[in-house]
Amino acid sequence: MTVAALDTRTEAMEHEDARDSRKLGFWLTLPAQLLVLFIAVFPILMQVYISLTDWSPLDGIDWWQAHQLWNTFANYTDLLEDNRFWSALGRTALVMAICVPCEFLLGLGLAILFVDNFPGRRFLYSVLLVPMMVVPAVAGYMFFMLFQSGGPVNDILSFFTGSPVRIAWLSDPDLALFAVIVSDIWQWTPLMFLILLAGLVGVPEDQLRAATLLGASWTTRFITIVLPRMKTIIIIALAIRVIENFKVFDNFYIMTGGGPGVATETISIYIYKVTQQELIWGYVAAVALVILITLSVVSAYAIKRMSRSRELSR
Amino acid sequence: MSMTTAISRRRFLSTAANAGLVTAVSAPFYIRPGRARAAAGLADGMVGGPTGFDGAERYQYGPDTPEARAIEAVNALKGAGKAPDRIVLGLSDGSIGQLTQPFPAGAPSIKELWEAETGITLDIVGVPNGQEFTKVMQDVSTKGGAFDIYAVEWNRLGDLAETGGIVNLDDYVAAHRPEWDNAERGYVGGAQGVSLLNNYRGSTYGVSLDGDFQIWNHRTDLFSDPAEQKAFADKHGYELAPPRTWKQHDEIAAFFHRPDKGLFGSTDLRNQGWGYTNWYQRFVSMASPNQFLFADDGSALINSEAGISATQEYVDSLAHHSPDAISWGWPEQYGNFASGGAAMTCAFSNLPKFLDNAGNEGSKVTGLVGSHLPPGREIDGSLIRRTVLWLNLSASVSSQSKHPEASYLLLQWLGSSRIYSWMTANPGGYFDPFQLSNFADPLVRQTYHDYHMDVVRESVARTVPTINYPGATAFHNALDENLVAALTGSKTAAEAMADTEKQWARVARRIGEDKLVEAIKANKAAWPTITDPIG
Amino acid sequence: MNRSLPFEIFRYAAILSLVALSLVPTLWMASMAFKPIAEWSATGADLTWWPKSPTLDNFRFLFGESSSELIVALDRTAGQPILSSLLSAVFGTLIAMISGTSAAYGLSRFGSGGNLPLALIQLRIFPPMAVMIPVMIMWAFLGLIDTWYGLALVYGIVTMPFAFWLMKTFFDDMPREIEDAALVEGCSRLRVFWKITLPMMRPALASSALFVFILNWSDYLIALLLTTRDWVTIPVYMASLSSSMTGQLYGAKAALGLIAAIPPVILGIAIQKHLVRGLTFGALKQ
Repeated sequence: MTVAALDTRTEAMEHEDARDSRKLGFWLTLPAQLLVLFIAVFPILMQVYISLTDWSPLDGIDWWQAHQLWNTFANYTDLLEDNRFWSALGRTALVMAICVPCEFLLGLGLAILFVDNFPGRRFLYSVLLVPMMVVPAVAGYMFFMLFQSGGPVNDILSFFTGSPVRIAWLSDPDLALFAVIVSDIWQWTPLMFLILLAGLVGVPEDQLRAATLLGASWTTRFITIVLPRMKTIIIIALAIRVIENFKVFDNFYIMTGGGPGVATETISIYIYKVTQQELIWGYVAAVALVILITLSVVSAYAIKRMSRSRELSR
Repeated sequence: MSMTTAISRRRFLSTAANAGLVTAVSAPFYIRPGRARAAAGLADGMVGGPTGFDGAERYQYGPDTPEARAIEAVNALKGAGKAPDRIVLGLSDGSIGQLTQPFPAGAPSIKELWEAETGITLDIVGVPNGQEFTKVMQDVSTKGGAFDIYAVEWNRLGDLAETGGIVNLDDYVAAHRPEWDNAERGYVGGAQGVSLLNNYRGSTYGVSLDGDFQIWNHRTDLFSDPAEQKAFADKHGYELAPPRTWKQHDEIAAFFHRPDKGLFGSTDLRNQGWGYTNWYQRFVSMASPNQFLFADDGSALINSEAGISATQEYVDSLAHHSPDAISWGWPEQYGNFASGGAAMTCAFSNLPKFLDNAGNEGSKVTGLVGSHLPPGREIDGSLIRRTVLWLNLSASVSSQSKHPEASYLLLQWLGSSRIYSWMTANPGGYFDPFQLSNFADPLVRQTYHDYHMDVVRESVARTVPTINYPGATAFHNALDENLVAALTGSKTAAEAMADTEKQWARVARRIGEDKLVEAIKANKAAWPTITDPIG
Repeated sequence: MNRSLPFEIFRYAAILSLVALSLVPTLWMASMAFKPIAEWSATGADLTWWPKSPTLDNFRFLFGESSSELIVALDRTAGQPILSSLLSAVFGTLIAMISGTSAAYGLSRFGSGGNLPLALIQLRIFPPMAVMIPVMIMWAFLGLIDTWYGLALVYGIVTMPFAFWLMKTFFDDMPREIEDAALVEGCSRLRVFWKITLPMMRPALASSALFVFILNWSDYLIALLLTTRDWVTIPVYMASLSSSMTGQLYGAKAALGLIAAIPPVILGIAIQKHLVRGLTFGALKQ
């Protein structure tokens, strides 16, 4: 086939092909679109509606009659003054600000240590992935025991300090927060490690070798060659953990129930408690919508930034 | 090994029960189940009830008893085609055993007996402990219809009745006469007791299936040890004995508190969700005959000298608790007491049933548990000792049930003095004695121990009901939240009480003050007036 | 990168100490699973690290045979919850992978569904607790409460964003020349996708599926609210493992925890060779 012949053929088919493609694209994305609509439309409409009322299941009327308890924007103004909500939000951010960098740095460090072969690499690599396989609820129960004052953590500390350690981790507001953070880092560092290792392994050897021959130090090579190559993968790894960490519930709730007091109450635990114990569902709906709107703005901005940086890196 | 014996004993039990059941149900169809069973060993004049063990006649019933009327009415409904094939009962996981495990050896289980007598399947759905109300609210608000009968904490009865999710049982009670206030066998306190446990705003909405009076326990081996007695008397100038006052309690607890030896002074709960019941005890004994939570006009009385000093005591007592006290719930408390980790504790009345129990291989305190009345305070020449009623599972009929009457009849049968005594004697679950007939029953006394049963009866007479009117959950949460803040030191006792008062005022506004004032009065009528002599 | 002796020593020291640290909770769970009640020492004073008299009682207990009849009345054994977790997680993963992958391809190749990236991120980042009331009401209306397929559906939806985003990065970076060549040969678009694109994506599909599965398998909150009895999952069932005799049944919980780790581990081993390649998110174009 000559180039000219190929061109004519393509042009002839282009039109039809574009239409087919659009059709195919539509059908391929349809299931996802439907599922999103399915899970979004009714819940959002219902939340908007009841968020404008004082509706609670304790009122003995069905949710669609909630208009009888219309309160306009009272839930939203209450929200502004709800210290517990804001501090739960702040605490969630704090937990994220500690967990995600720790997981990232530990994961990156481990990945660097694992990038080239050494005896026992395969075995140790598998062992490191184990925490990921443990169901978080189970991890919650185990960490509850580990952090008892007569428990294994204090036993290990006693061994190293030589004197009996009896810290009541879960009964002290600050230490309890520390304990739940440790459980999160334990569980999710392996994922970071795995993703970052995949990224490191993919950095082409020849470039590195060339740089070494040119006399670049390890640090220089890492900063000038490795990191830029890994930019996207690092962003993805961080994004995954930020998203998942924001919603953290299982192991926290089982370890401390958000306590003592509200010391380990994250936003998910806060909503859970207000929903299940105080049963002020109109208010919960307002909380949910505020979170939804905030997150939408943040993620829209993030996506824009991300796609721009992706374009630039090409 | 003990394990093998336990297994074989269990197998034996279940085979025996199955055999009994087969005899019962394989009787010819045209004979009514009751009569078929009569042939299988009911005592003279009895029409129904368990058989197959010594003393079974105590739990059998003659004609015209609440149990017999319930069974008869169910069978009449069946005859008219108005009875279901099955009744779905949602129940805390830990209580199911009392309905499904045969007890004692040779007996059928409650479930088997009900099914044999009525032919209606009893479908018991386990609900995780502490999730009862959550699950019920899910069912009510989604119109799920998963249950005919809900069993939730008695404190929530008012809240639940207000949702419209449970049925007003007045007509059924009038028609089938459960005799809950029977002077010999019925509830402690007669009609007043029934009203406290089963009623909301004058109507019956629940049937009590529990007796969650908070009872004090101690370790008899420690209290009777001559060396301990001498050391204690030398230090404090009075004899070592179960405490009569809060001051004594705190001193004794401090005396036994040896965390490095794995022994804590007292482990009455201090955690979120449960601990506040122990604050209650210290608070309500602050005046004679009672320090109330609310004045008659509905204003809160906790932000007062009494409230602040009770809170301060409550916080200070952490000194003789486990360092983990703020994170311990009852599972940790029971586990610790079973392993011999505490000198005193305050728990549901079933603690001795579970932990002073030869069948419990995990317990190191079998034979070493004693009970005592709640500590109190000397006021105006008498001793005010108070404990609380809290949680206390009670069963209600779901508004979504298609067969409310049959469901109610099951509850009448289950909650009446004969069947209930038999059920509560069964060590397989949480349901505790609360009726006069339960306290007197030999089998119950054997399971719960004589030493304990009398203390429970006397503690019941000194029991204050916790909040059981609409807003109960919100009131208790506000109190709880502030008490935990005081425990962790993030608020002072005075701040905690002041904040609680503020939050309570908000809750009261939401509930509606009129409704509240009326409910507070009804609740107050059930508070005890008994006082004890000093010394 | 670096091969000096001090570095090797440092490497082993660092790795081994982190491995040791990360193993403590897992080993605690594993040893707990084989301890008799007397050695659980959850709240007692004496701590037992290794079972002194190892037993399988905890496992037997989960499947209906108890060594002590009075501990707790299990109205159901662990069998049904394990089945429930398996069915809901497997089918949830299928829903997520199928709808997520096809949507990712649709967007990456034909630019359809431009709203999806943002919509799906919102869906994933939003705390499920905050919409559970309407979802509960919807699920009850549709008769999906307490069914494994109802659970699988919600799992499929909430993990689809993961499948979508992971697969999209791969499709974006897959060289189009290969597909175009096949098109020129006269293959249909769908056939190209099926016969050429997907097989090339095997590592990506495998590792995405593993993550989606682990997320579904781990869920506690959603199952807590959407199941009542027949189809409770492992984490929900675990909450019912406590008794008045001994408090929390830590041994049984740990035993169930060990069992619950088996499916992800098996899956992980099965796709091990794809794992590292599959996790580059196509982001390392050479």
